[in-house]
Amino acid sequence: MHNTQEILRQTAAFEKTVLPSGLTVLVRPMPGYGSVHAEYATRFGSIDREFTVDGKTVKLPAGVAHFLEHKMFESEDGDAFSKYAKTGANANAFTSFDQTCYIFTATRNVDESMDVLLGMVSSPYFTAETIQKEQGIIGQEIRMYDDNVDWRMLFALCDCLYEYHPIRSDIAGTVESIAEITPEMLYACTDAFYSPANMVLAVAGDTTMAQVLAACARAGLDKPRAMPAVQRVQRPEELTPFKPGCQFTMSIAKPCIGVGFKEKPLASEDRVKGEILCDLLSEVICGGMTPLYRKLYDEGLVNPGFGGEYLAVDGCCCLLFTGESEQPELVRSLLLEEIARVRREGVDEELFTLCKNQMYGEMLETLESVTGAASSLVTSHMRGTTIAESIGTLAALTKQEVDEALQTMLLEEHSATVLILPAGDGEELEGELEQDEE
Amino acid sequence: MKRANLAPGVYLNTLDAEKFNRCRVTIRFQYPARREDATAGAVLPLVLERCCADHPDMTLLSRLLEKLYGADLTVDNTVNGANRVLTVSVTGIKDRFALQGEDLTTEYADLVFGVAFRPYLVDGQFDAEGVAIEKGKLRQQLQAEVNDKRLYCVRQARRKFFGDSPAGVERDGYLAEVDAVTCEDLMAVYRRILAESTIDVTVMGADEGKVAGLLSESLAGVERCWEDPQPATFMPRQEAAHHVENMDMVQAKLCLMFTAGQCTGAEEIAACRLAMALYGGSVTSRLFLNVREKQSLCYYCASSYTSVTGSMVVDSGVEPANAKKAEAAILHELAELCSGPITDEEMEDCRRGILSSLESVEDSLSTLEGWYYSEIARGGPVSTPAQARAALEQVTKEQVREVLRRFTLSVSYLLTPEVDCHA
Repeated sequence: MHNTQEILRQTAAFEKTVLPSGLTVLVRPMPGYGSVHAEYATRFGSIDREFTVDGKTVKLPAGVAHFLEHKMFESEDGDAFSKYAKTGANANAFTSFDQTCYIFTATRNVDESMDVLLGMVSSPYFTAETIQKEQGIIGQEIRMYDDNVDWRMLFALCDCLYEYHPIRSDIAGTVESIAEITPEMLYACTDAFYSPANMVLAVAGDTTMAQVLAACARAGLDKPRAMPAVQRVQRPEELTPFKPGCQFTMSIAKPCIGVGFKEKPLASEDRVKGEILCDLLSEVICGGMTPLYRKLYDEGLVNPGFGGEYLAVDGCCCLLFTGESEQPELVRSLLLEEIARVRREGVDEELFTLCKNQMYGEMLETLESVTGAASSLVTSHMRGTTIAESIGTLAALTKQEVDEALQTMLLEEHSATVLILPAGDGEELEGELEQDEE
Repeated sequence: MKRANLAPGVYLNTLDAEKFNRCRVTIRFQYPARREDATAGAVLPLVLERCCADHPDMTLLSRLLEKLYGADLTVDNTVNGANRVLTVSVTGIKDRFALQGEDLTTEYADLVFGVAFRPYLVDGQFDAEGVAIEKGKLRQQLQAEVNDKRLYCVRQARRKFFGDSPAGVERDGYLAEVDAVTCEDLMAVYRRILAESTIDVTVMGADEGKVAGLLSESLAGVERCWEDPQPATFMPRQEAAHHVENMDMVQAKLCLMFTAGQCTGAEEIAACRLAMALYGGSVTSRLFLNVREKQSLCYYCASSYTSVTGSMVVDSGVEPANAKKAEAAILHELAELCSGPITDEEMEDCRRGILSSLESVEDSLSTLEGWYYSEIARGGPVSTPAQARAALEQVTKEQVREVLRRFTLSVSYLLTPEVDCHA
């Protein structure tokens, strides 16, 4: 047992440095690996729609963080993809609800790739013309997601659960919202959120802290930088959902149902434990090992993909259960009944232990790849913790804590239901759902 | 990779997995695709994954996997030209991470052989109740195909392209035939797969000797009449056929399928890789830079090729009104690469990108295993990633052109909300 703890400590080990510029650098050398994966992330995502920077208020239309991510690949001396093509690195970027991340994986010319990564984010370049061109490309991306039933379900649920929180808006925004974007708006965002103090650089694989710090020094990140005073503006939400539900049609084969539960936002000091709890709750209610899943599966009430997930960002936490079903009302009833039963009887002890085992295995799996390791470093840093601490928090979690949490979570009165029907089956039903009369 | 031929058509492959946190044991059965067996062949992996004789209940099997720290059991069917490959695989954390000192790797090996060779039977047949449930799942899956518009469009194009060829036999079977599949049909297909397949067992990080022993034991009760896999094939050239399907959707999907009119030799794989990177397989490709970035005709537009069928696919997401222009632009870029200049810069940019990918193959358990099985399944010599890199370094512009010049358009499939926009 003691030996396992030591092996785990080594497996989750990494080095950390905070530079005078405020940039946090995390490095996990991985002996035996030939590639290097780097992630350069800022705590700026689609939910950051209103903030003050050095006392000045900035309000953004939906989709700015994602738009900015696309624009960061351009500079006055060419686009970053062309520069990466000279190093052989495979580069990309993504925007989530609460972060924007620029990444590359490389096996050679790592120093040169690091220079491209750190350079592209430090010298933003926006003009009205390049913004207009990007509006066309992102408009196509938005339309592609308009045909994605899972994506539509996610945002329909958030739209029902939340009245004000920006999580209800698509990460890419809408064709109309991105049409409002101006160069000034983008510069305001980079001033506020792309300062080194608001960023983290995580690198894993065939590298060393010395190599990464040398790249930071070449980019001038070893020198002190101004740290803008940024305050995010959030409007508090009631736990009662904004709408009880909604339904609409798409070109799909079978109806899709989503049941979302609005929960109290996680306090920053309890974020890791709260997320583990949410993850575990969705598993003990309708994961593959549960009696509910078995019933739904054997009776053909849902597709095999039916399951739960959680969303937890600043000011918002919710659990969402989604899947295809010919009998969505019955599935919703069975789900609510199972939640009530587990709340009443307590979580099955064996199931609880097995879920913890599963999550432990997942953490080890993530640390096995250079991409997973760097990504875990970023995610842990953003939550104010480390991978080892997360494993410790999981190990310390008790069944009693899960039982207690369930007394105030997954409550029917905090839920909303979304139905997506096959086109032609129910256009007349489009609109909001009525509240259950119970 | 160490490869041992244990019996006719039975191989044990061992790959080094020392640096990984997890280990993996995989059994692959490669067998010729048959139209009449396709739907039963699609139900089979679902039934095998559900339970086995050692663990006859689906929920208890799920619980066993979680007890093994979330070990991943996968049973699936994949396409390899005119052959199909039934794969049973278990991946899980290594013994050194077990919190109670469990012998996990032995359990993984037992499980993978149990699922593949000891299915749960009732009176010598697959359990009727389980088969009925899994037929229902397959039916749901086939009906839901339309939900993913991009994939649906590619599959429709493939159907038109391959027609009745064995390479076109549906991996997931045929909706109209699902109800008629019986437990006896399943058993017949299962027995045929055990008897006729080329069997490849791959061990990564588990006890090779133990796995070899389990393999011998498992095969002892199987009457083998091994058949060579179907050789690589290709579709003959044809006049391009245009198909349009209307659907209530926002962004149109356009899929073009090309034939090389001949098989791809192992010695040409490196040139094919570089040709795809130049045409539409990378962010420095012509399709990405010209059709997407410069002309803004597609949100995505990518090409890929399949060596065992000598085919190339270009799929794209387009504005409905731009579909015709997009197709013309895609064909124009191909023609330009075939007869116009290729700059040293783009050639080397693409080469560097592929070299980098080839260098990282050995950093992922699944990619490493997938690499070697692709090499095995293609037939011919098995190249290491290092040999593939060396071959890539030698590819010339003329070899790239030679590969691309072979491709002619056979099928254009447009899935669109608008009527007649492609006419």
